[in-house]
Amino acid sequence: MQYRHVQLIGGKGTAPDRFAATLRGIAVDAHGQLYAAGDSEIKVFDAAGRLKKRWRTTRPVLSAAVAGDGAVYAGQLRQIEIFDGDGKLVNTWRDERLLGRVTAIGFTKDGVLAGDAADRAIRRFDRSGKFVNNIGKDNRVNGLLIPNGVVDFAVDEHDTIYAANPGKHRVERYSPGGELLGHIGRFDGVDPAGFTGCCNPTNVAVRKGVFTTEKAGPRVKAYDFAGNLIAVIAADVFDANCKNMSIAADARGRVYVADTVKLAIFVFEPVNV
Amino acid sequence: MSEDLSRRDLFSKVARGTVLAALAGGAGFLVKKANGQVVWQVNAARCINSRLGEVGVEACNLCTTECVVALSAVRAVNEYSKCGRCNICPAYFNITSAVNEQGQPSEKLCPRDAIARKPIGKADPEDPANNFYEYIIDEEKCDGCGKCVMQCKDPLGLGSITLRVRYDKCVNCNSCTISRACPQHALVQLPVEEALQQSVLKRTG
Repeated sequence: MQYRHVQLIGGKGTAPDRFAATLRGIAVDAHGQLYAAGDSEIKVFDAAGRLKKRWRTTRPVLSAAVAGDGAVYAGQLRQIEIFDGDGKLVNTWRDERLLGRVTAIGFTKDGVLAGDAADRAIRRFDRSGKFVNNIGKDNRVNGLLIPNGVVDFAVDEHDTIYAANPGKHRVERYSPGGELLGHIGRFDGVDPAGFTGCCNPTNVAVRKGVFTTEKAGPRVKAYDFAGNLIAVIAADVFDANCKNMSIAADARGRVYVADTVKLAIFVFEPVNV
Repeated sequence: MSEDLSRRDLFSKVARGTVLAALAGGAGFLVKKANGQVVWQVNAARCINSRLGEVGVEACNLCTTECVVALSAVRAVNEYSKCGRCNICPAYFNITSAVNEQGQPSEKLCPRDAIARKPIGKADPEDPANNFYEYIIDEEKCDGCGKCVMQCKDPLGLGSITLRVRYDKCVNCNSCTISRACPQHALVQLPVEEALQQSVLKRTG
């Protein structure tokens, strides 16, 4: 399968639809709207890449996710802010211990998951914010190996959690209860089917397959659920120094990738689909 | 080593050992050179091997080839507080070499085999990819070629390895031959007091 680059959203700058200093996380909702977490703002773009709305977060935002009811969760240091679809703050979950550095957020049918890079763990909460259990922390003996400082994961429609474990060059599958179900991926510095460097993949998305981003050099790939490489979606378009590129995929098969140096979101779509 | 020893405790002990070793070594020479003298040091922000933004280029080895001291007074130093303790360390392995049956690169990077490693913390005997490692540079073998520095820096690594002038080896030439050759002007002179402070700060940060 091949992908082509079809759109570029954002970029570095001070205009409302651009990012001044950081672009950390992206997510897409069921309607194809793109949510970008950068600087201390959430920006919402429509499917054509036009800025529809934006609002400020209390602290620099590290991640964003959209729940099925349209609520927008913004991960930050030591807290998650929850907004309605218009950007009105409706709740804040604060926890010094469990939400040290929230670099990813996702949802199961009955709960909310938060990746805490400060403790290299995924936290599972119920919908009211009550802590339920850890995922990935101390799994086997060492848990998630993330030298790059970002815990990232995605959740499929069966509530299976796909967590990037870059130090092990794997994407690991967990149940919501924290049981390790298996993994895909292996180290290889030459074969593109493997993950290279010290610690890849850094970020992951799931939608009819597993999508990953890598650093040094930056690369985006698609795998099937058995771990077979389907496509190298892109490599050369990103700034060579960018890392921890957030990734999302929508129902149309489009793949969105945040370049953390160019502060732009690259959109790719499959060819001949 | 106790399995109950936490990773943080372990790193703390390693860091304290490094401080003691450093104070017993290079820093002692600095103290002897006090009283307004200046010493040479590598500015990591200028050195092309460690400077951020330089990717996809060959490592510069002028510190190896230009120093008047046999084997060079510049050596690679791993700052443990920054090191990611990775299983596949690009400064330790040649990550583009063929993968062996353990799933690791089959070749090491250092041409002088100056980097050793050992598992630390809780080792996972069933899954070697699940272990943390301490990387130790044997400065008696290192000649400052910079290959490991180039591979360690961000974004590939965390930039814990840099080139440093070792004061117990440097003869402190008035006109350092490396500084004359370095196109980046990365060899700079520092007052001894500042160099000593850097040395302490670096090891307690």
